[in-house]
Amino acid sequence: MEEYSLTLGAHLLLWVFPLVLVVLVIVEDLLDRLKPGPER
Amino acid sequence: MNPVEGSTLTTVAVVMVAYLGVLLYIGWRAAKRTHGGEDFHLAGRSLGAWSAGISSTASSESGWVTLGAVGMTFTYGVSGLWYAPGCLLGYLVNLYLVAPRLRPLSADQGSVTLTDVITRRWGDPRNVLRVTATTIILICMMGYVAAQMTAAGKAFSSSLGFEGRSGYILGVVIGAVVIIFVTSLGGFRAVAWTDLFQGLLVAIALIALPLYAIARLGGFGALVQGLGAIDPNLLSAGGGRLGPALWGFIIGQLGIGLGYPGMPHVITRYMATRDDRQVQRLQVIAMFWGVAVFYGAGLVGLAGRVMLPGLADGEQALMALALQLVHPVLAGLLLAAVISAILSTVSSQLLVAASAVSYDVVEKTLGKASDDRRSLILGRWTVAVVGLLGILVALSEVRLVFWFVLFAWSGLGAAFAPLILLSLMRRGVNRHGALAAMLTGTGVTVAWKLGRDAASNPEIFARVWWITLLAAAAILILGQLARAFDTADRVAVVAAASLTVISWWVVQRWGLDNLYELVPAFFLAGFAALAVSAITPISVEEASK
Repeated sequence: MEEYSLTLGAHLLLWVFPLVLVVLVIVEDLLDRLKPGPER
Repeated sequence: MNPVEGSTLTTVAVVMVAYLGVLLYIGWRAAKRTHGGEDFHLAGRSLGAWSAGISSTASSESGWVTLGAVGMTFTYGVSGLWYAPGCLLGYLVNLYLVAPRLRPLSADQGSVTLTDVITRRWGDPRNVLRVTATTIILICMMGYVAAQMTAAGKAFSSSLGFEGRSGYILGVVIGAVVIIFVTSLGGFRAVAWTDLFQGLLVAIALIALPLYAIARLGGFGALVQGLGAIDPNLLSAGGGRLGPALWGFIIGQLGIGLGYPGMPHVITRYMATRDDRQVQRLQVIAMFWGVAVFYGAGLVGLAGRVMLPGLADGEQALMALALQLVHPVLAGLLLAAVISAILSTVSSQLLVAASAVSYDVVEKTLGKASDDRRSLILGRWTVAVVGLLGILVALSEVRLVFWFVLFAWSGLGAAFAPLILLSLMRRGVNRHGALAAMLTGTGVTVAWKLGRDAASNPEIFARVWWITLLAAAAILILGQLARAFDTADRVAVVAAASLTVISWWVVQRWGLDNLYELVPAFFLAGFAALAVSAITPISVEEASK
């Protein structure tokens, strides 16, 4: 039976993009929390 | 969908009634805390991160996310997912550029609506900007409200087993009456709280259902094999498209995100947030919600394609999977999630349309009901009247109104998104440029959209150029009669008309009909704002800001 797989573009679109986005959002939030001062 | 067993239908109906009961309870609680105009239109700027964050996202993603987005991947496979990065890039712009700047700006200005932000930003001595913005919002929002009520009616009648025309009418009336009641009682606070409840329901449904469905299939590998066996193109990011068709499709899908900063029902959530700390927290909440919901919807479509080979309409995949895979109580909750996605948008748009009438027109333009208590009463009655109008339009299915809906997202996005971004990011735009941007965004959207569908509307498309000139002449005459326009305003109207006719000529001459209309309309509106501002004088009141 023929084996099918996602193309490289499909990998990027399906899980690499959202994963990178979530990591960036978390990192930005952590950096924000480390900032001192009342303006945080 | 397949016929559903009577006992399942009864269970689903009980869950639906409980869901509507929760909405009414939330509306009643919100009403007890709503005492004046600013409370009604903006929740007294008191929203926390969760209600503001989820409300901003849930209100932007109508039934499209549980029906249309699911249908995209059901039909096109992985390539149907391009809407997700498009929408999430729009979220990034809104959450990280617009929200942190708009909240303090609107609080300093004391502005309550999107129109208020624009008019107070540039000054509007003769109400030119307010009347223009309100007209665009009302036209787009009324069509939107009626279309969403139609969708809610169909979803209610199919999930509760109502049949025929009377079943549809009952479905529309049940959904619309609950939403009108909740919104008119509790105003913005009720809308935000019900959005929070409904947004969480949608997110849970779109995380749980695809995971369960893929597990039932035998895992992600089995899903990939199943899709490949149907059509290998379902596993590629291009879906078998090549050349200009591929790039037009991708740019168009990414371009959806350009509209977010211009959606009044979305960005007013940021204005209603309590403080800057809440804005920072809502950024994370809203982004996680977006990723979960967009990718969850995509996975439901992919799983549905493999598990429901006989399903003719991919947009029904979520409801069909729910009824086929899970216990009726859970199926009821999943169907409630489908309706939640619709009703959370209806309530938000209803409130924006009502605020446009009661606050922008009656209070600000006509100068009535300046007292806070009167403002609240006026707001409540306007929601009721606008809502009833929406029901009538949804039931009579007036075609012209639904024609406006085709332009609603891109029209609002192109008219307001570049303007909001320019107003928050840079100086160099004056009120004449703002007028040119709103008119250009709307005009180019209509011209390009007709150009994209020229085959189905050849006669209307051919008339675009002279209809545009007639519209511009009418605006100039009205402005003259009302003694509202100065020379620079006339320059703005002529510039907008010229850009609209040029865009019509371009799409006709070069056949750029693969390109989603929001993309050219957005950039031409931004160009119009800067160009008209560069050649028209800045007013005394603007110079002092």
